[in-house]
Amino acid sequence: MKFFRSVGEVFGYSPFRSLAQHARMCCWAVGLLEQQFEALRKGKYDEVEKLRDEIDDLEHHADQIKEEIRGRVTKSLMLPVDRHDLLEFLKVQDEIINNCEHVGHMVTFRKVQAPEDVWDEFSVLLSKLMEILNYYEDMVENITQLIETSFSKKAVNKALEHVPIIEQLEHECDLIQIGLHTRLFNLENAKPLDIHLMVTWVVHLGYVANAAARASDRFRIMILGR
Amino acid sequence: MDLFIITAAIVGFYVAWNIGANDAANSMATSYGSRALTLKQIIIIAAVLEFAGATLFGKKVTHTIAKGIVPIELLDHNLVVYGALAALLSAGIWITISTYYHLPISTTHSIVGAMLGFGLAAVSQNHLTIEQIKWDVLVKIALSWVVSPLFGATLAFIVFSLIRFILLDRYSSESVEHVFRYLQVLTACYMAFAHGSNDVANATGPVAAILGYSGTVPFWVLFFGGIGIATGIATWGYRVIETVGKQITELTFTRGFSAEFATATTVFLASYLGMPVSTTHTLVGSVIGVGLAGGLASVNLRIVQKIIFSWIVTIPVAAAMTISIYTIMVVFI
Repeated sequence: MKFFRSVGEVFGYSPFRSLAQHARMCCWAVGLLEQQFEALRKGKYDEVEKLRDEIDDLEHHADQIKEEIRGRVTKSLMLPVDRHDLLEFLKVQDEIINNCEHVGHMVTFRKVQAPEDVWDEFSVLLSKLMEILNYYEDMVENITQLIETSFSKKAVNKALEHVPIIEQLEHECDLIQIGLHTRLFNLENAKPLDIHLMVTWVVHLGYVANAAARASDRFRIMILGR
Repeated sequence: MDLFIITAAIVGFYVAWNIGANDAANSMATSYGSRALTLKQIIIIAAVLEFAGATLFGKKVTHTIAKGIVPIELLDHNLVVYGALAALLSAGIWITISTYYHLPISTTHSIVGAMLGFGLAAVSQNHLTIEQIKWDVLVKIALSWVVSPLFGATLAFIVFSLIRFILLDRYSSESVEHVFRYLQVLTACYMAFAHGSNDVANATGPVAAILGYSGTVPFWVLFFGGIGIATGIATWGYRVIETVGKQITELTFTRGFSAEFATATTVFLASYLGMPVSTTHTLVGSVIGVGLAGGLASVNLRIVQKIIFSWIVTIPVAAAMTISIYTIMVVFI
C-alpha cells in the first residue's frame, strides 16, 4: 500500500517476548541435556549424538534471537528498563545455553566407563539443574506481566521471589558437584582419561547452574534499576 | 469566477478527503491497535463523530485559517480567490507527495505554510505590507505546534500514572484492562470529535476565504468539509487504520485510553482557542508520555526527529509552492 502517512512508528520494537523465548530455549536445552545423560548411561550412543545435534540447533536458534535483540534495541528506543541492563542480562542468559552446548559436545568425545553410582550422581545433578532452569524460566516469563502492570509492586515481588530460590538451588548444585568430584577422583580401576572427561562435564554443568544464578541476578538488577 | 469556485470545491474536498483518509485514520488507529473496537465500528464512529466535530466545532479554527494569517479583508476579492486557491492547491500537492513517501507531515502545517505563502506573495506585489501579515497569530500558531505535543505528553503521563498507582497497583491488570476497554470506546469518540473540530479547517479555511469570508463560517462549508472527511475515512482510511494498527502491537486498553484522552483533550482545547494543531503529532507526544510513565514496552524516539524535520520542510515548501502557483495565476489569468 502506497498512499498513507503513519504515526505507528512511534511504537518501537519490543524485545521482551524474545527475551522470554530465549529463556524458554535455555530451559529446553537443559531438558535435552538431561535426556542425553540418560542415553549415555544406557549406552545409546546414537541417541546421544542425535541429542547433541538438537542442542546445537537450539543454541543456534537462540543465538539468532540474541542477535536480533542486540541489533534492534537501539539507543533511540525508550524502554521501561535500562538498555544496558537488558543487554547485560541477555548476555548472561545466553551463557546458560552456550554451556549446555559445550557439555552436549563433551559427552560425545569418548565412551566412558563409570560405575552405576556415578551415573546416579550425574542424574541427581542434572535434575537439580532442571529444577533451577524451571524456576528460572518461570521468573523470566513474568516479564510480560511486569510490563502489563507497568511494574506494579505486586508483580515485581512475584517475579523477584524466584531469585533467592534459584540462588539456593545453585548452592545445592555446588554441593552435588563437590560430592561428584570427590567420588570421581577416588574411582578405583577407572581410566584417567575417563575421569578427566567426567570431571570436565561436572565443571561445565556447574557453569550452567552458575550462569542461571548470575542471569537471575542480572534480571533483578534490570527490574529494580528502572 | 465560477471555474475558480468549482476548482476550490474540488480541491477542498480532496484535502478534506485526505484528512479523513490519513489524519483521522491515524488518530483512530490506536483504538484498532489495542483491539478496543473492530474496524467496522471504528469506521462508523470516526465518520459520524468527525463529521459532528467538524460541523459543530469547526468554526474557530476555520476562522483562523481563513483570515487569521492573511488579512483578506484588505485585499481585492479576486486576489483572495487566487491566493486561497493557490494555498489549497499547494497544500493538496504537498500532502499527496508526502503521503506517497510515507512522510509524517501534518496537513495543518501544510495549509498554514501555504497561507503564509499567499500572504508573502501579496506583499511582494505591494498589495500588503510585510507588517500587515498577522505575525502575532503565526507566532501563536507555531507555539501551539510545540506546546500541543508537550501538553499531550504531560497529560498522558499524568493520566497513565494515575491509572497505574490507583488501579494497576491494587487490582489485577486483567480486570483493570477489562473496564478500560469500554472507556476506550468513549475516548475513541472523543478523539474523532476533537480531530474533526480542528482539522476540518485545513480544507474549509481556504474555501471560506474564496467564498468571501466575512466573519461567520457558513454552516454548509463545514458540512461539506465534514462530508469530505467522512468519505475519506470510509473509502481509504480503513486501509490506513489497518496498516497503522498492525504497527501498534503492544498497546493495551489503559494505554490506549490515556493516549487518546490526552490527545483529544489537547486538540479540543486547541479548537476552542482557534489554534490549528496537528492531531497526529499530539498523539505521538501523548504516546511518548505514556511511555515515560512506564506504560509501554518500547517507544521509538526516532519519530521525533522525523516530525521536527517535517515541520522544517513543510512550511517553506508549502509557502514556496503557493507563491509559484499564485504568481502563475496572476500572470496568466
